Amino acid sequence: MIPLMVAFPLLFAFVIVILDTLRAKRTLIKAAFLLGVVLPAWVFLTERGREIVGGWNRAAGIEVGISEINAPFIAGELILFTVVALYSIPYFDFRNKKTPKSLALLLLLHAGLMGAFIAGDFFNFYIYMEIASVSAFALVAFSDEKGSKRAAFKYLILSLLASYLFVFAIGIIYMETGYLNVELVAENALPSRELQAALGIAFASLLLKAGVFPLHGWLPDAHSIAPTPVSAVLSGAVVKAPAYGMILLFSALPPRETFREAVMGLAVASVFFGIAGALLQKDAKRLLAYHTVSQMGYVLLGTASMNFVGAAYYAMAHSLFKGGLFLSVGSLGKKSRKLGEFGYRNAPLMAFSVLMLSLAIGGVSPFIGSYAKGIISSGLGGTWKWAVTAGTVGTLVSFTKLNYHLSKGETGDLAPIEKLSALVLALATLCAGLYLGAEPKLSDASYIFAAVLVFFALKFSGVLEREVRGEAKDVGKDVNVLVAVFVTFMLGVLLIQWP
Amino acid sequence: MISPQQAGVLIMLIGIYGLMAKREPIKLVLSINVVSLGLVLFFIGLAYSPEKDVPIMPTDPVDPLPATLMLTTLVVDVAITSLALAIILRMRRDGS
Repeated sequence: MIPLMVAFPLLFAFVIVILDTLRAKRTLIKAAFLLGVVLPAWVFLTERGREIVGGWNRAAGIEVGISEINAPFIAGELILFTVVALYSIPYFDFRNKKTPKSLALLLLLHAGLMGAFIAGDFFNFYIYMEIASVSAFALVAFSDEKGSKRAAFKYLILSLLASYLFVFAIGIIYMETGYLNVELVAENALPSRELQAALGIAFASLLLKAGVFPLHGWLPDAHSIAPTPVSAVLSGAVVKAPAYGMILLFSALPPRETFREAVMGLAVASVFFGIAGALLQKDAKRLLAYHTVSQMGYVLLGTASMNFVGAAYYAMAHSLFKGGLFLSVGSLGKKSRKLGEFGYRNAPLMAFSVLMLSLAIGGVSPFIGSYAKGIISSGLGGTWKWAVTAGTVGTLVSFTKLNYHLSKGETGDLAPIEKLSALVLALATLCAGLYLGAEPKLSDASYIFAAVLVFFALKFSGVLEREVRGEAKDVGKDVNVLVAVFVTFMLGVLLIQWP
Repeated sequence: MISPQQAGVLIMLIGIYGLMAKREPIKLVLSINVVSLGLVLFFIGLAYSPEKDVPIMPTDPVDPLPATLMLTTLVVDVAITSLALAIILRMRRDGS
């Protein structure tokens, strides 16, 4: 009964809308919301294997399944989403009429992500990824902050263009092989130029949706402006759906050596660009959003080296620590998100959680980040391994900056759930790391030491004080530029795939 | 004569040109709709075979799958367009 993982959140999303229309009691709405969030976890814990919905034959039916590769994606999403659900009920707090709608949209997002992660065929994957994205657009636009509508519009147009091109590529794959099911495509694909082109187009579209450099233009705005729990889910889980799509794509149509090398180069560029972008930010949530660009680079590195298990574990690790960081920084910086104007000086428990999460994202053992990084670098050749190590130090430099500023400021009152959610996710990164068998390593201490040194060197050289370009006022112009970059990038990918 | 698939791809390219050249948010939404229409035409063209039978009680049926897929995509399209228009209205109201 694996499809129930999707059916429960969908059902309760509709129940919430009906209860809201009938002006039902708030407790009922809350109960429906929590049921919709938790029931898929129950299905996940009891079910394994593959099945075809409705018992049709494999070529025509919709195949879903839980395997070694998608289980970490699902586990990460479920843990993060449960914490976010508990956080978001007091966060939205029925202040206005938007609350029940936000909760229903969050459940739709949950359903979309679950559906995308269990999908075994391309079209079904597209539909569920689209459900998740559409809910995400609406949730970003629901934010009261100035500029949220602009960010949502930019996100919507770019993401939609990518989706249509992805479906176009699915059409080419269907035309060439006659199947949509990933395994049947893999069995029936004969190497041809059309399939190479389809692989390139689909891959570039998914890169845009995953927010990997150079197609990340929409990501920092959308992820930093959204309400805190939504930011956590966007960064922690929504960008993982296209990452899983890339795994499906590569397992159906194995890429050639040149293409894989190019993608690995791109992944490393994304890692370092994200870190550089984050170092220059003054806004705490934007800093975290740039780290999503950087961390997605690692997931891509795992995917491109055909190390799907490594990519899946890194995606799970990123869900846990990035979700936790967004929740904790968002709770601390309720009044101002500018670095230096708030902090955890008067909140020791938060300080503890943020420090743990920072070490986890830096890939310090025994947190889960180091375990996932270990699997990814075990599948890489000599020079690429150095890129992973340099990325670790870079990430730690940026988080030294965050913690340096946070340790100077103070925060207002924190609700118990705000402290608890960050702590739970921090402990989850530690426990998952210990459970999976990450061992403390002495070299990590030298990375932290190097990172602190580099941070102070950068700070005294004044590089970090540079003012970066503010966001443009004209949303249309932004979209024009980003689409042009996307089209140029796609032409580049097609050129690589041409011979 | 060009085939429906080629026409579909051309229409998609026209939509993408609109996305790169127009600034008005409404025109961007229209451009996205043009892209999706090109996509629908491409898929319908894939399964276009006039000499074959309808896929109900078939002897030699056409492939019904592309048309079905496009029904789903059209539904997504309608929902997205309305959402985009709603966001544009809000953008105006915010003065941004």
